[in-house]
Amino acid sequence: MLRVTGLTKRFGGVVAAREVSLEVRAGEILAVIGPNGAGKSTLLNLLSGLLRPDAGRIEFLGQDITHTPPEVRAWKGLGRAFQIVQPFHEMTVRENLMVGALYGKPGTSLKAARQVVEQVIELTGLASKAETEAGELTLLEDKRLELARALCTQPKLLLLDEVMAGLRPAEAMEAVELVRRTQASGVTVLFIEHLMPVVRALADRVVVMDYGQVIAEGPYEAVAANPKVREAYLGRSA
Amino acid sequence: MMLAGVLLFLALVLPGLPLGQWRAFTLDTAQFAFLISGLALAWDLLARTGQLSLAHGAFFGLGAYAAALSAPALGTIPALLIGGAVAAFSSLLLGLATLRLQGMYFAIATLAFSEVMRTLVLKAQFTGGSIGLPVQPAFGGAYPLGGYYLAVAVLAICTAASLLLSRSRFHYAMTATRQGEAVARVLGVPVVRVKLLTFTISAFLAGLAGGVYAMKTLFLSPYDAFGLGRAVEALVIPIFGGLYTTTGPLLGGLIIVSLETWLRLRIGEGYLVVYGVVLVLTILFLPKGLMSLFARRKGARHA
Repeated sequence: MLRVTGLTKRFGGVVAAREVSLEVRAGEILAVIGPNGAGKSTLLNLLSGLLRPDAGRIEFLGQDITHTPPEVRAWKGLGRAFQIVQPFHEMTVRENLMVGALYGKPGTSLKAARQVVEQVIELTGLASKAETEAGELTLLEDKRLELARALCTQPKLLLLDEVMAGLRPAEAMEAVELVRRTQASGVTVLFIEHLMPVVRALADRVVVMDYGQVIAEGPYEAVAANPKVREAYLGRSA
Repeated sequence: MMLAGVLLFLALVLPGLPLGQWRAFTLDTAQFAFLISGLALAWDLLARTGQLSLAHGAFFGLGAYAAALSAPALGTIPALLIGGAVAAFSSLLLGLATLRLQGMYFAIATLAFSEVMRTLVLKAQFTGGSIGLPVQPAFGGAYPLGGYYLAVAVLAICTAASLLLSRSRFHYAMTATRQGEAVARVLGVPVVRVKLLTFTISAFLAGLAGGVYAMKTLFLSPYDAFGLGRAVEALVIPIFGGLYTTTGPLLGGLIIVSLETWLRLRIGEGYLVVYGVVLVLTILFLPKGLMSLFARRKGARHA
């Protein structure tokens, strides 16, 4: 579904992504993990088009999208939720969702968009907050809105940037359930996460990054047992 | 919506009211207020996409000059449309060059644009340069109230554009662009196109108002038509009335222009002081403008 080859991004002297290659297969949930500063968020920004790579190639559904602007990637079915939630503060929850529903897929009518929003509100449990201004939500509700808004663009592949960060364990498990339901509805998911229980619960496959490079890839157990990963990730954080 | 309708109705019947010796003065002031309110509504459209323009005085001036110069050959209505089109076309060029800039940088670019336009009109021959340009009245002066009703029409068009845009799907794109460009793009909003389209519509309306203004004052000079004062007025009014609304700039424009005219009569140039005080007080106590007085609930923005 998504194939990344040799993707490189430098910020001055810092190489935030160094020849990253990975593949996301249709229908799966892929986790990208790694210590702080490993280049995970840079990778997501490259994938959603907010950053331009210095080298490498991104293919989505067989098409080269390396130099495609973010909005066109959204139209092709690439959805994204941000780590630092960025709701449109002066809009209600419903209006926030309408933006995604109307513009995420070209040619969506107001009526069709309202239906999509209704479904997503139902799915994400935001019904009681639909008319609340986004600036007045709690963190958990903000995170839900962030995810819901991305879902409203009707993505084929959803990129989630630490959507569980800052949540209590019970809330995180609620969010896990939400991501599972999303996958069940036919959406492929790539997510970045720090919380290992969440990764274990959700991921079909795990990619580990360190210093901008992919250092391991495979099922959670295999990756967790990998000495390189233990050294880079678990070793340093202990 | 209701209020806008009532105001437009009043504008239509105003010439028929028994105004006595104040009639000519009232109609003249009202006509000017309608045009400036239209300009403020046009400015507010662009503001909805998060762009602060200081070029709206220049669009107004470009429309004024273009309409004045083409009216003798084309007639009043086509000339006014030419005025709008010239303003729109210049905004398209300016927008293509600058709309990738954000916030302050865009504002400075539009300020530079205003100065360039003023200098061009000042130095050119066919505009009359610094001497100025005499203008024919609307419809060659055939209808005494022609100019007045053109101003009412411009205000109606600006009001309708403002209302329609706030009720359309485009409203979501504009607001999203204003509140978070990167996020809006990731959600599929083509923000550059949204800003460019809004800028063009907004400049067209400003140019239209400028054309009617030219046919009202009957004389244009670069200092008046391209003065920074009008650009400032175009943004002060929506801030005073209530940003991103229709009723705000509409009501704000009528109040500010009336107040200004009255103060000019009373204290001459001193009116600018009072003007400044009113603005400061508004920003301090009514950060959302006059509209916050009317807001029925928190977050009622579609008035």
